[in-house]
Formats: sequence, C-alpha cells, structure tokens
Amino acid sequence: MIKFENVTKSFGRINALDNVSFEVSDGEFVFLTGPSGAGKTTILKMILRDILPDSGKVFFGTTDITGLAEKDVPNLRQQMGIVFQDFKLLPERTVTENVEVALAVADLPQEEWEARVKHVLKLVGLSNRAKLFPSQLSGGELQRVSLARALVVNPKIILADEPTGNLDWKTAEGIMELFEKINKEGKTIIMATHHEGIIKHAKHRVVKLIDGKVEKS
Amino acid sequence: MNIHTRTAVDAIKRSPFQAVSAIFVMTLTFFVATTFAVLLYASSNSLKYVETRPQIIAFLKKDAGETKVTELQNKLQSDVRLKDIKYVPKEQALEIYKEATSDNPLLSELVSPSIFPASLEFSVSDLMLAQGVIEEVGKEEVVDQVGFTANIGGEKSLDEVVNRLKNISNYVRIGGLVFVGVLAVTSFLVLLVIISMRMTTRKGEVEILSLIGATPSFVSKPIVLEGILYVVIGVVVGWISSFIMWLYVSPNILSYFGQIPILPKNPVDFFLLFLIILGIEMAVGLILALLGTMIAVKRSFKKVR
Repeated sequence: MIKFENVTKSFGRINALDNVSFEVSDGEFVFLTGPSGAGKTTILKMILRDILPDSGKVFFGTTDITGLAEKDVPNLRQQMGIVFQDFKLLPERTVTENVEVALAVADLPQEEWEARVKHVLKLVGLSNRAKLFPSQLSGGELQRVSLARALVVNPKIILADEPTGNLDWKTAEGIMELFEKINKEGKTIIMATHHEGIIKHAKHRVVKLIDGKVEKS
Repeated sequence: MNIHTRTAVDAIKRSPFQAVSAIFVMTLTFFVATTFAVLLYASSNSLKYVETRPQIIAFLKKDAGETKVTELQNKLQSDVRLKDIKYVPKEQALEIYKEATSDNPLLSELVSPSIFPASLEFSVSDLMLAQGVIEEVGKEEVVDQVGFTANIGGEKSLDEVVNRLKNISNYVRIGGLVFVGVLAVTSFLVLLVIISMRMTTRKGEVEILSLIGATPSFVSKPIVLEGILYVVIGVVVGWISSFIMWLYVSPNILSYFGQIPILPKNPVDFFLLFLIILGIEMAVGLILALLGTMIAVKRSFKKVR
C-alpha cells in the first residue's frame, strides 16, 4: 500500500530522512518510532504529500505521489484518514459538525451523512457527546473525535501522528483499543509514536528511525 | 442550510462589524451608481431632445411662388445632410405666435397672417454641417433669411446651446464615472481587506481542511458566498434607496422640464429603466465580489500551503 524507495529529505543542514526505504502492506499496523527529530512526522507528511522528498520515490498503491500534480493532492488525501497529536478540530463546530466536515470535503451525498456520523460516533463511544463543542470535551474525547473524523470517509489507510502524545496512560489505552478494532476491520494503520509502552503492548511491526535512517524495519 | 452557507453565516455572526462596514460601503457605492446612471440617462435624453428639434429655419420671401417653394423643399429633402424638413405656412406661423403669446391676447389680436413669412424648418444630421448649409440655403432665390431657430430671439445660437448641453452631459458622464469608479475601487479594497482578514482568522481551519483533503474551491466557497452576500445586499439596498429618492423627486423634475422627456413619464418605463440599472449593477457587483474574494483567497492560500 505504501512504499518508500530511497527517500532523502533535508531541511537546510539537517537530514530529516536519509535514504529511507520500507513498505507497508494492505491491512498492516505499523509503528514508526524513534526519538524526537528522527523523521517520523516527515514520513507521515510525505505520505500526505505535504512535503516532497529531495530524492527517492513514495508510492501510494501504484501511484508515485512525489510526481502527483497539485490539483490531485486533495483527492489523494481524501483516501487517507489522519489523526493528529493536537487533534486539529474546528473549535467553533460541534462534534457532529467536525465529523461532517470530512464528509463534505469528500463530497459525499448529504443524505448519507447522518447515518455515517452516528455509526462512527458510536464506534468511538461519543454518541452522547455529538452536540458538544471541542472546548467541552476531555483530551481523550477530543482524540476520539479526531479518529471519528478520520474514519467517517472509510479511508484505505489511517495515519496517526503521536495520537496518544497528549493523553494519560489509561486514556491512551482506550484510544489504542480503538485503533486495534479499526485495524481488525481491515484498515491499514501507520502510527508515529515514541510511547514504548504502547509499542510493546500492541505487538505490531515497528519501523525504527534514528537520525533519519531506518534502523529496524 | 449547507455547510458552506453555514460557515459564511457563522463568519458574519462572529464579526458583525466587518460585515456591516462592507455592506455599508457597497450600499453607498451602488446608491451613487444608480443615481448617476439615472442622471446620465436624463442628460443624454435632454441632449437628444434638443438635437432632434428643428435647428435651422429658412424664411421665405413673401412673393415666393408655390412651385419654387416645393422645388426647394424637394431639393432639401434629397440632401442627405438634412432631415425632418417641414414647411410652415403663414397661417401656421400665426398659430405658433398666438400660442407663444397666449398670456397676452392683445399681442395676437394686432397681427394678421400676412405679416408672418412662410418658412422651411429642418435639422442637420451633424451640427458641424450647419454653417455650410445655412450659407447654401441663403443663396436660394426664394429664401429671404436663414439662421438657427434660437437666433430668432437674438439669444445664443443653437449650436452653442447644444454644445453647452453636450459639455454638461460630458461633465456628468466623466464626473459620474470618476466618482463611481473611486467608490467602486474603495468597495473592492474594503471587500479585499475584510476577506483577507477572514482568511487570516480562518488560517488554522484552512490548514486542517487542506490536510484532510479539501480542494481550494471547497475552502474558498464560504468566503466567496460571504463576498456575494455583501454585494447583493449592497446593490439591493443602494438601488432601493436611489429608486425611492428618484420616485420622490421625479414629479418636480418632470414638471420643471415640461416637454423635454428627461425621465420616462410612463411608470412602467420608469421602473424598467431602474430594473435595467439593477441588472447591470448586480452583474458588476458579482464580478467585483468574485474577483475580490478570489484574489484574497489566492493570496492567503499561498501563505498556508
């Protein structure tokens, strides 16, 4: 599903990625791990085509996304679900509206919205929070909304950038359970994290990055 | 309400003063634009009226024979430079005199048709040709005197009157266009500033939407809708205000100008004139809104992406 082929990226003198190659298959759950600045977020941003490599190629399926035209980028992103460490929710929209935004972006028929939103909110356990605003939710609940927004468009892959970074252990465990559940339903998940406890507990494949190089895959 | 309309309405609710200032400037612009459009119509109508009046009058000699007068009339009719050729016999000349002196019947009682010469009245297709025509017609055997109609009273010649009207009409046109142009540019800039401010406050939202796959058109739709809303309200309110003002003043204007059809006298035509102005203003306004929002959105996108 995702393939990095000799990808190198520098930001000035800093080598964010140095000749990185790895593959992620359909339905796989992969942890990207390593210390801060190792290149985890850079990899996720490249999959989202938020940044381009200096050299090498990144494939999504059979498409080389490094050569993708600017106008095709939104379409690529619509096939992915993304969960951020800082949730990135729209503060002036309710939980339901935050999830609906993803459906509107994907241009799905409005008649389908209610059922889809109900389904994902039930899946993440937020049915009773649908009318609340982000400021009225806890950290764990905000991350669940973020996950619901990622899932509602039924993406092929979920990219999660430190989704438990701002959460306590118990809440993080709850979020991880949700990711496990989603992965069991066949979704590919690439999660950037440096949370050793979570990685050990989940027992999935780990791609370890040190100073922009893949140390273990 | 769809998601874009809701976003636009929420944005207006969040900063109502920005919305009010945008609408206020738009209203002022389109009020002035409507008022000037009507002024332009009125000045061009009065000019057309004066230009199509008989401009030259050739007084015929008292002993001019009917055949020779007809010959001259036919000759003038075949001249492409001339139009609206009209023969005014002595009796009709007396009637015109009587009508002109109706407030003093004693004056008309003292005269008989015999003292008024018959005349040929006509207009020229272009006033520049008038002087040459006067000279040519003056040489005709049956013609006693020839000149501009306005010369009869010894006042200014008609071409002076027309030139003055043309100047006034041009001043209205140029002055109006400059004034409306300055207001239109101001409105455009106000719209640009407000939309740019809106984009700055939405920067975080735009970034999120972009990351989850929103196209630039998805992001800009609420902004474009907001711009269109300001313009539509501005056009309608400005137009209605000007329409009410003209409805109020038009009876006085019409009675002051008398026969000159400065404004349509028929209510349907009057309304139709304003309807046409509304249509043009709406089209111009929408172009302004689209252009303004597109520029603001494009600039903001460069910063975000």
